[in-house]
Amino acid sequence: MKITINNQPIEVPEGITIMDACHSVGINIPSLCYLKDVSHNASCGVCVVEVKGAKSLLRSCITQVTEGMEITTNSQRVMQARRVNVELLLANHPKDCLTCDRNQNCELQEVTFELGIHDERFVRTRKEYGYLDETSPSLVRDPEKCILCGRCVAVCSEVQGVKAIDFSGRGLKSKISTFLDLGMGIVACTNCGQCALVCPTGAITEKSAVSEVWAALHNPEKVVLVQTAPAIRVGIGEAMGMADGSLVTGKMVAGLRRLGFTRVFDTNFAADLTIIEEGNELIHRIKNGGVLPMITSCSPGWIKFIEHFYPKSLAHLSSCKSPQQMFGAIAKTYYAEKTGIDPRNIVVVSVMPCTAKKFEARRPEMDGAYRYWKDKLNLTDEERFYDVDDVLTTRELARMFKETGVDFTHLPEEQFDSPLGESTGAAVIFGATGGVMEAALRTAYEVFTGKTLANINFTAVRGLEGIKEAEIDLDGTKIKVAVAHTLKNARIILEQIENGSSPYTFIEVMTCPGGCLGGGGQPIPTNYEIRKKRAESIYYEDAHKGLRKSHENPEILTLYADFLKEPLGEKSHHLLHTTYIERGY
Amino acid sequence: METLTNSIVPEIILDEIVEKYKGKPGMLLSTLEEVQEKNPLKYLPGETLSVVSQKLNVPYTQVYSVATFYSFFNLKPQGKHSIIVCRGTACHTKGSKALLDEVAPILGFKRMEEESESSFTTPDNEFTIKTVACFGQCAQSPVVAIDGIIHSNVNSQKLLKILRKVKNK
Repeated sequence: MKITINNQPIEVPEGITIMDACHSVGINIPSLCYLKDVSHNASCGVCVVEVKGAKSLLRSCITQVTEGMEITTNSQRVMQARRVNVELLLANHPKDCLTCDRNQNCELQEVTFELGIHDERFVRTRKEYGYLDETSPSLVRDPEKCILCGRCVAVCSEVQGVKAIDFSGRGLKSKISTFLDLGMGIVACTNCGQCALVCPTGAITEKSAVSEVWAALHNPEKVVLVQTAPAIRVGIGEAMGMADGSLVTGKMVAGLRRLGFTRVFDTNFAADLTIIEEGNELIHRIKNGGVLPMITSCSPGWIKFIEHFYPKSLAHLSSCKSPQQMFGAIAKTYYAEKTGIDPRNIVVVSVMPCTAKKFEARRPEMDGAYRYWKDKLNLTDEERFYDVDDVLTTRELARMFKETGVDFTHLPEEQFDSPLGESTGAAVIFGATGGVMEAALRTAYEVFTGKTLANINFTAVRGLEGIKEAEIDLDGTKIKVAVAHTLKNARIILEQIENGSSPYTFIEVMTCPGGCLGGGGQPIPTNYEIRKKRAESIYYEDAHKGLRKSHENPEILTLYADFLKEPLGEKSHHLLHTTYIERGY
Repeated sequence: METLTNSIVPEIILDEIVEKYKGKPGMLLSTLEEVQEKNPLKYLPGETLSVVSQKLNVPYTQVYSVATFYSFFNLKPQGKHSIIVCRGTACHTKGSKALLDEVAPILGFKRMEEESESSFTTPDNEFTIKTVACFGQCAQSPVVAIDGIIHSNVNSQKLLKILRKVKNK
């Protein structure tokens, strides 16, 4: 299709939008509402271009090119219109950029600067805003900063199928709200944080735990342990100015030591532990006629989703806690015993790519270590502690690095501490969709058959396709497995289970697109291309690990020999497994 | 959420209404409209919205979105009588603002703050006062609709007289 852009003739494929056509010749069109694969509301009016013959300016994000189209992106009319549209948004937007969470990482700020807007010509028109919503343990919503672009609504309903938020009211009273304007902590929100990831301003952010973590680090009586999720090592580099998907495991460990953590451990260790427990649980269910298909339980957004919307299917969930919670429980029991540290003085900080992990850490049942010690140490109710004390997102960790002047790119590569720092390639792939499945299969196959796997790469379950399937031959016992990411795809899987047509034995579900590497706590922006790069780094790390099967992790073997005794045993039952509740909708 | 349990439309009536519209185009609007009509206080309490959502299998947020979008739907209990003051341009130039400011306090309203709240109900639940942008009766401005009947060329005295009559009916 032949068109011209700013008088330059070019050829573009049929069906693409003006915005994409412009992008292909090196012209970026600003937009505050459009987001590839997520939203195309065409509400902000910032992406307008002039098209010869058209009466008005056209929104390039939703207008497809037609043969012979003559597009102008740099006329006075276009530039004026873009500026006015942004100025109108700014009239109702607070000017507290300096103290905003999204300062220097804000699309509204960037567009304002790029369009050369220097003064405030328009007065504020909106009088009514919603309230600052801090009811959720994961997310904070500040409607004052909202520009009504609708991205959060689109990602919540179209990508996740949760529909916790929508527009309400009309005209000047339009706003984004939950049902009856109840808090995000009260309604059926899964805390996935995809809304925070796509918000062009600071209207939705994670609830920060940075000051709590500093308080612990500055308290000389506390032994502060940190654990890092698999997806942090492929995300934190971006937040520190490195290329998308940079694999920075060693630098991350070094940086955490610079912050003052007593020990730098790895959630990957607990991921290996999860695989031992979950793999054995799967085998147990297959051999003993347990509830199948069994579904993974690592992703707390997914857990809350099924508790709200499909409580009848809760028995399909693996009873395994997530790696974050297994780590906390083991750190405050096994590690405390081994080192002789009073568990009351241990603070476990997690760095997660995830906002829902903040909620998970505060689930009332997540105090296994406290219950373990209660009688042994005569602990009172007031002394009750959680297995995981504070959860930081990747973005919050980046803020802490910056706050203390950690020169991340020039840090040396350092190693995790022992004994909760060793991990295998099977653990690192937990960070990508399909990873838990692949890791579980590597172990389940060998435990089930007693044979060594010829090829440990289960490539059928890798990649960013919404639902992936594979058939595995466990030495004569054939099982079908499925991998789903995003809650919209999880819904499809659950509908199959509830109507009796699910052909699977084992299913992995991850809440966020791409798995944890695309989690709601990851650096902004996170898009399809960036997710792909992070996934490449994850699989690169797996391929270059000496050990790639969870049941070969020597520290895990020691943990079982010295403490847990056996998978699914008595101690595991109390510390590593959990129960779920019906939340209703 | 403030709920007046005695003003909830009984489930059995809700079921009848839902049955009538479920699956048809515009089912949500029709259902909400009729449910509000059946409510003695002519409004849609939060509990009713959630029951409608469940019965129609429409997400909570979508029901709330629709109920808050249309000014026809009331999320607060309404008085026995409704007073709708036109705030269109023609009525404004003929003094509809003064009408609001003078009559509202007499009925026991505080100063009617436009834009911040769209309606007020008197503490004795007798009157609910609202504003609209235009009735299309500009020739007879200012106009006020009381219980659906449009009164033209209204001034404060005339309005108070009508209200007394309505109240004593």
